[in-house]
Amino acid sequence: MRRKIALFLTLVLVFTVVATGCTKPQQAAQEAAPKVDFPKQGITAICPWAAGGGTDAVLRGLTLEAEKILGQTITVVNQTGGGGAIGHSAIMKAKPDGYTVGMITFELNSLPPQGLVPFTYKDFDPLMRINMDAAALTVKKDAPYNTIEEFVAYAKQHPGEINIGNSAPGSVWHIAAGLMAEKTGIQVEYVPFEGAAPAVTALVGGHIEAVSVSVPEVIGQVEAGDLKILGVMSAERLPSIPDVPTFKESGIDVVFGTWRGLAVPKGTPDEVKQILMDGFKQAYDSQGFQDFAKNAGLGLAYQDAAEYAKFLEANANDVAEVMKKLGLAK
Amino acid sequence: MRFDLLMQGFANVLQLNVLLMVVLGVTGGIMVGSLPGLTATMGVALLVPFTFGLPINQSMAMLLGIFCGAIYGGSISAILIRTPGTPAAAATLLDGYPLSERGEAGRALSMSVFASFIGGFSGALIMTFLSPQISKVALKFGPPEYFALAIFGLSIIISVSGNSILKGVMAGIFGLTLSTIGLDPISGYPRFTFGQMDLFEGPAFIPTLIGLFALSEIFKGVETILTREKVDNKITQLLPTLADIKKCWKVILKSSILGTFIGSIPGAGSDIAAFVGYSEAKRTSKYPEKFGTGVIEGVAAAESANNACTGGAMIPLLSLGVPGDAVTAVLLGAFVIQGLRPGPLLYRDHMDVVYSVFAAMMVANIVMFIIGALGVKFFSKVITVDRNILIPVIFLLSIVGSYAMRNSIFDVWVAILFGILGYFMQRYDFPASPILLALILGPMAESNLRRALVISKGDISILFTRPISVILLGLAVVSLISSFVKQKRVEKRLAQEESEAAFK
Repeated sequence: MRRKIALFLTLVLVFTVVATGCTKPQQAAQEAAPKVDFPKQGITAICPWAAGGGTDAVLRGLTLEAEKILGQTITVVNQTGGGGAIGHSAIMKAKPDGYTVGMITFELNSLPPQGLVPFTYKDFDPLMRINMDAAALTVKKDAPYNTIEEFVAYAKQHPGEINIGNSAPGSVWHIAAGLMAEKTGIQVEYVPFEGAAPAVTALVGGHIEAVSVSVPEVIGQVEAGDLKILGVMSAERLPSIPDVPTFKESGIDVVFGTWRGLAVPKGTPDEVKQILMDGFKQAYDSQGFQDFAKNAGLGLAYQDAAEYAKFLEANANDVAEVMKKLGLAK
Repeated sequence: MRFDLLMQGFANVLQLNVLLMVVLGVTGGIMVGSLPGLTATMGVALLVPFTFGLPINQSMAMLLGIFCGAIYGGSISAILIRTPGTPAAAATLLDGYPLSERGEAGRALSMSVFASFIGGFSGALIMTFLSPQISKVALKFGPPEYFALAIFGLSIIISVSGNSILKGVMAGIFGLTLSTIGLDPISGYPRFTFGQMDLFEGPAFIPTLIGLFALSEIFKGVETILTREKVDNKITQLLPTLADIKKCWKVILKSSILGTFIGSIPGAGSDIAAFVGYSEAKRTSKYPEKFGTGVIEGVAAAESANNACTGGAMIPLLSLGVPGDAVTAVLLGAFVIQGLRPGPLLYRDHMDVVYSVFAAMMVANIVMFIIGALGVKFFSKVITVDRNILIPVIFLLSIVGSYAMRNSIFDVWVAILFGILGYFMQRYDFPASPILLALILGPMAESNLRRALVISKGDISILFTRPISVILLGLAVVSLISSFVKQKRVEKRLAQEESEAAFK
């Protein structure tokens, strides 16, 4: 009996270890291997955000397809905390052999200006950009304004009365609202929540006047008739909501949103990077991933490594500048 | 309410392949839940990608099975080895573990599965019949209401203070102080982080929980590893006795309603519900001084409340499209991947899906009851293992569990540190639960107070001029006073026993 129990407990333990993804890559024998022969073993994909969230879903959706193409298992490891800082730092510190890839997100460019983290976009080799989701200005359905212009006029008549919710202090949506206020000269209050969902809930409940989060995060409530979107901060109108104007159309030059992409630690061999880029691009183009993205309302915006690198640099400068103006940078 | 659709929902769920998914989900959920560090949220999140290809009925059946199973599963390790498998089970161990130490593990486990079933099933029923009404109330919760709710929750610290109010309050204040570590929730300024990225979000909750309860108990157990006599835990029953059910049914019903309601408020989850249920049972008990020494009602109250929360948390998800807790936030993603968006539109366009979810929730709870009851004998074998084998295994599981949450070695150190702290707290009779409550509720109170003040431009009257917030603050005062009075009785009894002992 006792032996059986011991066996059971051992099994439980093994199960735990496996289930929790103790998946530090076994990198030992790799260096001797010829570089073209990649990947020879499982790949680890680091996600800086928690399992079950949007970033995690995109990464898992993509790796599910990429596994078939690269012919190796890809294990998603969520290294969360510090508003994305822990995960990004883990990607940066990983061995640059291609067996660790990571999802990089907007916070890679908004954390450094706050002077809290030891990395910048320069510490990564980008592989590809996956999606971009523009910020949108969303208000209650019965609010006394129907357009961006009316909103701005109302805000000017009632300075400081409009509370705009966002997902966290210094978050992409906080910056988006700040940018809008700066360009239009209105005075509003920023109310940070513990994520976009609680902010949207508070708006539906009428506790705040507006949110500046992305379209997928409000679309359900908009379709249900509780909220309306006044404008989006994208360059062009969004195909999912063609009736909603951009801020640019209203004469307010704001194009702003979040983005996600794949990257490897700086110094990963070019041959290996090429194999990863090709593999993940095929996964991106696969029917499975495209369907997934459509259902999730993801704003797909592919860029290859070279374009993405340029984008990262420009974005980093823009973000740092805006944050300085808003008093969010150190 | 459409009975034809509900029947159709049951017909959808009671197919062999869907039922199999429920059984798989519940079994997996109980395993995940009973292992420290693996929470219901993680169990569901890790399985969502595998449901991409499944039809909605099957995928929801499995995910809801995991959800219900895991919340119950947490109580198994809480009762047997003083290790809450999920945060929701932290209140269960207060009386569950003393019962098991007394050799009544079977009694506690069978009550836990029974209470979990009644709680979970009531939650599912309330969700089926009252979702739209309850979700309207949930929407009324803005920052001032959340602040008041957190204050109400904090007033419970007195009832989980064990033998001394003073020590309980000290532990609570220590916990509140800990909860200020990390980035400021409103301005983003780092507080007490010493430049450590790992501290940006404060000490991680799960490792702290594992340290305070599991590791501290292990350290204590090591002292007596070879000398302590084994408790003879005879398991003769799968179901609670009629006498126990008679004792507990009122508590279970009350906790089920409380739990469902707390679950339905977005942002308040099963951990808070369990403590509120426990405290309410203690407050209205005829012998509150016995709580914490192995009272069966304590287990019943905590477990029915946290399982009722599962149904409650589904209410805002389905009717508003707003997740009620961390698990339902993941479920929201699972719906969206299937091309369905929970919310009023789901009710309008996909009534069949809504009712299938209702049916799946009820069936999942029934399956959980059957598997749980059959498992009581099997689970409780764990404590018949020799302590010199059991203690190292629990130690290992605790360490792995702390690591697993964020794949972080730092978190392992956090767990060990709190283990050492918890050991000394046990030794000097300080209760650990107040720290836990403070860690859950402190950030909720702080960020919502400040959010409320941003909205009101610094006018504090916003807290006292809104009906729900006034009611909750009033309840906090009532709960504070009445549990203070009851707690004094505990201290009096202890003083009496001491003086009697001194006479002998």
